[in-house]
Amino acid sequence: MADITFTLPDLGEGLLDATVLEWLVAPGDFVERGAAMVEVETTKSTVELPSPRTGVIAALHVDEGGVAEVGSPLVSFAADDDQAGIVGTVPADEVPVRRVRLTIPED
Amino acid sequence: MAETLSMQAAINTALDEILTADDRALVFGEDVGTLGGVFRVTDGLAAKHGSDRVFDTPLAESAIIGMSIGLAIHGFRPIPEIQFDGFAYPAMNQLITQLARMTYRSRGALPMPVTLRLPSFGGIRAPEHHGESLEAIFAHVPGLKVAVPSNPSDAYSLLKQCVADPDPVIFMEPKSRYWHKAEFGQPAEAAARIEAELPIGVSRVVRPGRHVTLVAWGAMVARCIQVAELAAEDGVDVEVLDLRWLKPLDVAGISASVGHTRRAVVVHEAPLSAGLGAEISALITENCFDSLRAPVQRVAGFDVAYPAGPLEDHYIPSVDRILAAVQRTLEYRRG
Repeated sequence: MADITFTLPDLGEGLLDATVLEWLVAPGDFVERGAAMVEVETTKSTVELPSPRTGVIAALHVDEGGVAEVGSPLVSFAADDDQAGIVGTVPADEVPVRRVRLTIPED
Repeated sequence: MAETLSMQAAINTALDEILTADDRALVFGEDVGTLGGVFRVTDGLAAKHGSDRVFDTPLAESAIIGMSIGLAIHGFRPIPEIQFDGFAYPAMNQLITQLARMTYRSRGALPMPVTLRLPSFGGIRAPEHHGESLEAIFAHVPGLKVAVPSNPSDAYSLLKQCVADPDPVIFMEPKSRYWHKAEFGQPAEAAARIEAELPIGVSRVVRPGRHVTLVAWGAMVARCIQVAELAAEDGVDVEVLDLRWLKPLDVAGISASVGHTRRAVVVHEAPLSAGLGAEISALITENCFDSLRAPVQRVAGFDVAYPAGPLEDHYIPSVDRILAAVQRTLEYRRG
């Protein structure tokens, strides 16, 4: 298994760090991309960060009450070795839904 | 039950075997060494073959291709990777004005056995510059060959053919198919069979049919097979032709297929205007004019910059857009 790690983004204009108030996920949790993941406080505001991907949380790198610097590891997701692409998302094998039907005209 | 393998693992296997068999083969690019590639395609190769044969380069695509040319002049068989299709643009000058012309310029004295591995096309919700379809640009350049696998065993065999070839080849790997697993026989057997049956420039009918030919490459082959299965529900028998090579194009193979189905739809992800669909449509018209029962249809991306992830499904040819084109060929009556 490989981990995919996300760092703390700059949440404002040139902010240097943020304090982790509360983790809304725990290692082992399956989270959807966009779901609320963590509440952090900066010098400007308190914000809820959404999960950057869909997957299983492997590790939280900052304890509640701890300070995360911008660019330092925040959260890691577990990824299968063959699905550890860093950019993009593995497409699902879906059965396509059709609307167009074919008719063979009479000759 | 036959073994299955993903395309990413199949390419990894091919690279491993190439590096083992040929001391002159080198694999390099951004993150291909220590990391093993952003799609894991070169995973483990640096550890096995050494960091002087599988290595990371600076983020400088022009230098990656320039270095490949120099290495080829000195007898190496470079297999560079440009991490994403959108980053081939900074390398275009080296690719087009140097790599593609060196053999011609030297009157054959300097073969250029360079295989550029280029993760290509869309379908993975990637950001801008990570989902382009550059095949028409490359196919337009004299001196370059262009190969596009659609499945794991073809990726394995085609890559070996490309590396063995004395000319530069752009090997466009469809990103959205990297993880899809498919049947994969014994690698050596598959390579020997492909070499014997499908030399460079030869396409393959991946699904035979009677009523209409869908011409496709890369990820669109799987989409066209889906369309063929849906069309069968309506009693329409669709043939799917996987081109595999876009330069040279398999004129004989295309003509043979359309010659018997008498209808053709070309499907590609790249924008419509001046895309390869136009070239293939023209070839069909030139070679199959008397057989055609309808004008050749094209289903393609739109003439816009490759869209952001959430819009991708509206851009890439859908089964409905392809089915509608099939219906147009069925309905057409000479005026």
